[in-house]
Amino acid sequence: MMASISKSEKAYIQASLLSSNPLRADGRGLHDYRTVSLETGVAPLANGSARVNFGKAVDEGGGGTEVLAATKLEIEDVKPGEGEEGGRIVCTVTCSPAAYPQLSSNALDELQYDYTTILHQTLSHPSLHPTDLGIIPYKKSWLLNVDLVVLSDAGNIYDALFMSARAALWDTKVPVTRAVQYVPPQSDGARGKTDTEDTMEVEGVGSSSLDTRHMPTASDFELSDYWDEGAPLSGREKWPVCVTLNIHSTAYFLDATLLEEASIPLKLLVVYTFTSPTSSSIQALRLVGPGELQLPQIEKLLQESEPFARQLHTALNTKLKDEDIRRNQKARDRFALRS
Amino acid sequence: MISFASFPTQTQNYGITKHHPDVQDDVNMDIVFDEEDLSSKRLTCPGEVLTSSQTFMRGHGTYVVDEEVISSVAGTIEKVNKLISVRAVRTRYNPEVGDLIVGRIAEVQPKRWKVDANSRQDAVLMLSSVNLPGGVQRRKLESDELQMRTFFEEGDLLVAEVQAFFADGAMSIHTRSLKYGKLRNGQLVVVPPVLIRRLKSHFVTLPCGVDLILGLNGYIWVSKHVKDNEQEGEEGFDAEAVYSNRNDAIDDATRSAIARVSNIIRTLATYFVPLTDAVLLEAYEWCVEQEGGVADVLQQDVGEALVAALNAPR
Repeated sequence: MMASISKSEKAYIQASLLSSNPLRADGRGLHDYRTVSLETGVAPLANGSARVNFGKAVDEGGGGTEVLAATKLEIEDVKPGEGEEGGRIVCTVTCSPAAYPQLSSNALDELQYDYTTILHQTLSHPSLHPTDLGIIPYKKSWLLNVDLVVLSDAGNIYDALFMSARAALWDTKVPVTRAVQYVPPQSDGARGKTDTEDTMEVEGVGSSSLDTRHMPTASDFELSDYWDEGAPLSGREKWPVCVTLNIHSTAYFLDATLLEEASIPLKLLVVYTFTSPTSSSIQALRLVGPGELQLPQIEKLLQESEPFARQLHTALNTKLKDEDIRRNQKARDRFALRS
Repeated sequence: MISFASFPTQTQNYGITKHHPDVQDDVNMDIVFDEEDLSSKRLTCPGEVLTSSQTFMRGHGTYVVDEEVISSVAGTIEKVNKLISVRAVRTRYNPEVGDLIVGRIAEVQPKRWKVDANSRQDAVLMLSSVNLPGGVQRRKLESDELQMRTFFEEGDLLVAEVQAFFADGAMSIHTRSLKYGKLRNGQLVVVPPVLIRRLKSHFVTLPCGVDLILGLNGYIWVSKHVKDNEQEGEEGFDAEAVYSNRNDAIDDATRSAIARVSNIIRTLATYFVPLTDAVLLEAYEWCVEQEGGVADVLQQDVGEALVAALNAPR
């Protein structure tokens, strides 16, 4: 975030960006990312989790931007007006004080709030809503909590947040449930002896059952015996990726380090979702920083950012599929050893 | 454009200290802890029992449980008479008088600057310890105090020497030499302070047109080479030039050389290779021989090859 930087360092970075042969502090090109380390399934008690690190050398102990994301499903009542399925998504970002040692606790809260807002607004948008969050129509649904922790920040935090959220959501398994319904016995004579509660209710409403005919009758649910922790959350291809364009006058670059972030006036966050191999849609757009942009410039930047987001999306999908295979294999090996 | 990697798998051999192959045999031999085997070569693990507290006094980096001195950090054992302490491998910088450091101004206070020098406390640079415009020897005036930010402001990088310590252990630094002062024309690389060896001179010039300042606090300034006769303040002190924030024109070749040297330093730090001018020179030559790109050395295989080449006997 607000790394202190001297004027000459700033000038050095800016001059390098604008030179005919741009070269960054660590020898990267303008559109190169640092190495991204990614791992899913890091939190055993979560329904889905992921850890992402931007820019840590393989054998190094620390360094880089590190974000931990986890999803947890909670059961809640469907409130009136939430439709048949219900189901909400709530994102929360927490920043570890160790990631921002220079910030006071108030400033840290504000920063967390900023991150939370952009993530929550984007991910809980109806267009991304998964279809399998309902448990019992009009009654119970899953509340999907997406919690992210920023463990360290070495620049490009938004891309890391979105990437880790996407990986955790990709990894999320929804427990398989089956609705349970009370079927009243046919004969009137048996009524009232076995299930007192239900008869009480019925008596309160009135003996006529015509009104309740179209009401969903399932009142409870059970977890069915399933071979895995659950079924993958639906629509996991849809979760968006974020590309941050760091803009300095006419030049822009991706994946800025802290010092680079401190020396540019403006960041443009573009969040894309890719529903099919050819089509894409922008889910969110945000300008961060004191700089200014003209509308034509934004249009041009949006056009140019799409290929970057697509590459990011493709690479991330490949990695996530690799992770799925790795974890499944690991489980198989573990069981093979035991038997 | 983007490449993904996995996190390294965690090794399960906790409690086993990894030693350099040269001392591994010695370490394996000494299973019984006696006074003689507490050689400075040995590395410790946190929680490792070092000796009995009956015979030794515990120093820094150790604690006592059940009359046994136990290491609380990973590092090397140091023994002074009956005092046993462990110097941590990963630690903040421990200043000593006369050290050359590179620091960043953190705060401007009345008559002093607070300087971040990777130490436990911020270093203090007094207004009386800097060179001021208009002659080296003169009294500090109130006007100087009012324009302290024209000399150094928050975020500025400077090279200085540790002068003395305050009662609370904070260091006082000074820039009263033409070699010291504000830094420009380059970029900063941060490495663990233990990797900086004490050298005859910490101002290193590589033949690729790159100057290095190896601060003992682990901050390394990599910049464009400035010829000796062009150094500021040569004839009469030119405050304008010494406290300037403006970079010289830097051509692409120098820029890429600076980036390459920075990457080499980062790679060597990753593999925990102590840095000296000779090592850096050799590493740079190796990288140029490989004819790779500037960022190649950050890749794992290239980095390992570089370290292997540096360690190879000649």
